Amino acid sequence: MTQTAERTAPADRTNRLTVTRAGGQLVADYWDNLFAARDQGKQIVWYNGGALNPIFQAAGLAWCHGEAFAARLAAQRLEGPAQLAGAEYGYNAELCSYSRTHLGCSVLTLQGASLQSGEGEHTGVVGAQDQRDLASRLPSPDFFVNNYAGCSTGQQWDGISYRVFGKQLPIFNISHPFLWGNKPDAGYLTGEEWEEASGFVEGQLRELIGWLETRSGRPFDWDALSESMSYIKRAAELRREGLDLCKAKPAPATFWDWIACVAPINFLPGDQALVDYFAGVRDEIQQRLDAGVPGIEGERYRLYFDGIMNWNKLGFLSRKFAEHGAAVLAGRYIHNAFWQEPHLIDVENPLRGMAQHYLLCPTNHGSRTLDYLTLRDCREYDVDGIVFHSTRTCRAFTGPQRLLARSAQRTLGIPSVFFEGDVADASFYKEEILESRLVAMLEQIDVRRQRGEHTGAARP
Amino acid sequence: MAIPLETLTAVARDPRGYIADWRARHPGRLVLGVLPMNFPRELALAAGTLPVVVQDDQKPVTEGRSLLAEFYCGYTRNLADQAATGRFDLYDAVLMADHCIQLIGAADVIRAILPDTPVFFGMLNSSMNDSWGPARVTAMMGEFRTELERLTGEPITSQALRDAIAAHNRDRRMVRQLFDDRAARSGVLSPVQLQDVVTSAMIMDPVEHADLLAETLAAATAAPAATTGPPTTGPSGRRVRVHLSGHLCHAPRRELLEVIEASGAVVVDDDLYHGRRHVSTDVEEDGDPLEAVARWYQQRNVNIPCPTRVQQDADWDSWLLGAVRRSGAEAVIHLLPKFCEPHMLYYPELRKALDEAGIPQLQIETEHEGIPLESFRTRIEALVERAHRSRAVPA
Repeated sequence: MTQTAERTAPADRTNRLTVTRAGGQLVADYWDNLFAARDQGKQIVWYNGGALNPIFQAAGLAWCHGEAFAARLAAQRLEGPAQLAGAEYGYNAELCSYSRTHLGCSVLTLQGASLQSGEGEHTGVVGAQDQRDLASRLPSPDFFVNNYAGCSTGQQWDGISYRVFGKQLPIFNISHPFLWGNKPDAGYLTGEEWEEASGFVEGQLRELIGWLETRSGRPFDWDALSESMSYIKRAAELRREGLDLCKAKPAPATFWDWIACVAPINFLPGDQALVDYFAGVRDEIQQRLDAGVPGIEGERYRLYFDGIMNWNKLGFLSRKFAEHGAAVLAGRYIHNAFWQEPHLIDVENPLRGMAQHYLLCPTNHGSRTLDYLTLRDCREYDVDGIVFHSTRTCRAFTGPQRLLARSAQRTLGIPSVFFEGDVADASFYKEEILESRLVAMLEQIDVRRQRGEHTGAARP
Repeated sequence: MAIPLETLTAVARDPRGYIADWRARHPGRLVLGVLPMNFPRELALAAGTLPVVVQDDQKPVTEGRSLLAEFYCGYTRNLADQAATGRFDLYDAVLMADHCIQLIGAADVIRAILPDTPVFFGMLNSSMNDSWGPARVTAMMGEFRTELERLTGEPITSQALRDAIAAHNRDRRMVRQLFDDRAARSGVLSPVQLQDVVTSAMIMDPVEHADLLAETLAAATAAPAATTGPPTTGPSGRRVRVHLSGHLCHAPRRELLEVIEASGAVVVDDDLYHGRRHVSTDVEEDGDPLEAVARWYQQRNVNIPCPTRVQQDADWDSWLLGAVRRSGAEAVIHLLPKFCEPHMLYYPELRKALDEAGIPQLQIETEHEGIPLESFRTRIEALVERAHRSRAVPA
């Protein structure tokens, strides 16, 4: 019998914010409410892309964000049955794993419905129990709304959901101009293209509201939208305040804490509970600063993370970086997404600011703007290097990464590494590649320090 | 027939040679690199430029590997490589109309690598049922016109645009006739020859292309046996008639087309970008020409639906079934470029529809870095056998 040496797990050097547990409970409650929405007589909308939930909230609907559901399944290691169902239906493993998982849920939902009515048949790969479990948890939609900016696959995904459900359910699509920057005055939050695109999307949101009134049979509650957006604006301000506090050395909280805050800011109802949660996040960070408590034990390196999240590996990655003394502080997915510019929101007339945030999806910029944002954040957080999550099935996020790495090296003199993984498919994660490349980059930083060189992106 | 057809073939396989010749004949005029799939070349032709659809030049990706991830499709990685290795020196500017995130990634690389080359992205609305879509598309066509006028320093007159539309329509009609003839079993060109005809149409001035094509067809009529594709009757009647589907923005490898026909199949129709899809739709020659170009874009997705567009009342699967019935195809071969997400998303719908109709099908995933031809041959032969057995079963 072969015996292998038991590898001792390294000590956990993370010090995650305790308040995020409360956020986890808010999110769990939201999903439980959604799973019960049909019983409560609510209409259910499936949507993708930008956070339309304030509009759905004001329209009295229950909402399911497809990417969020796929991410939740992956984070809970429950994505398998949906992905198998998708594969069985014919989806290629190289397809966006968010869409593949979510479309697999659609297949399961339909199969579950037919099984319950006694008309279903077992299809082989996915067991009936899986079908029943997932189908009963995710209520089927009454209609679809697509709000995808940046990635072309996002719009096509809902177009296919519509077909998987037999072309029987209404669908509304919001089109977003890609912020390419043709015009000389084009820039982040500025220029003719930005203003024109903002107006175009705002107009579509008005059309959407009229469409929802038809679907629901109720007049839209504009006051409720303003109220919801006032809470979201305040929560977003608190979030930004907390993010700014993390520029301190050592950082009181890390990128991974902020990843845990994505779900609340992305799709929870706009209400006092949301504000209270982000006030709690900001306050805990401030308390840590006051008490000198760091986000990881023994911060030696400060890193930027570019890439959409690898939801299967959230806890694992946070421990891995901390193990090396690497505080991951900032990232495109955190700093340049999710109501990140709350000053744009006019709560009395919120549609334009909402439209602008949908356009500000971090995959909806040409690389020139992303270059500006990335270098800005690297400087502000004085990072020593960048970690690029080369997200296997997310071409939208991965596209400009090579250009960003070149620019960071040339402009700021900071190194970067790439590792391969995926948003919702653990099979693409390559542990040895990340480990060896991360160690090599950190050693490079050490060597520069030994030479007396400054390694941070902020010039002394 | 040989000489004009050989000229078209030469252009298809060596765009650089044609462009150099065109530049010599048109000193001072611009050559524009146009990215697939829906850029209105009529506008660029009316501006006095030569708009060339940039081809996958099938060279190995070298420096481009450090610019785009390996899980981008082969065509976009090839574009990045062309830019990184100086092969984009052919073009004075680059224009793009299609919202494909991988294509945008490649365009971003081109813009970063070649900062002195203008790269203009005018995004055509891809949600085709939007009530505001047609107005948006017309407005974007106007922006293309403005950009072209800026590039050339000359206005584009309505008459010049009408002339360009007429020239492209004439060329499209002639190419389309070749596809109709093939579907009607009277075609004279092999799949590779047809692909070369379409590719050369994407590169050449349409007047020059149409003139050469007219000579080709005249010669073919006089001597139909000279360079014909495989017959489908007589001893070769056992060949299985197949429809090729997919490859939405670049050409499949020629050797793959050859293997398909060497494996007992005969191609009778397709919906490839380098096939019927490219010439599916003419631009109306009456009325406002800019609005006509905008309607052309809308109509293309009705005539042959494309999964890169979202349109609830245009179904690629239904269209494919109709095309199969019209041509009498006995099987469908899906040519799916690896990592092409719109095709991956739509493929199950195609598979379902064909299965329900009892039409044998085969999916072949193509790659830029070499294709396992012998493996494909085995699978195609199996498809052919399956189709033969279907023949034996009474309807």
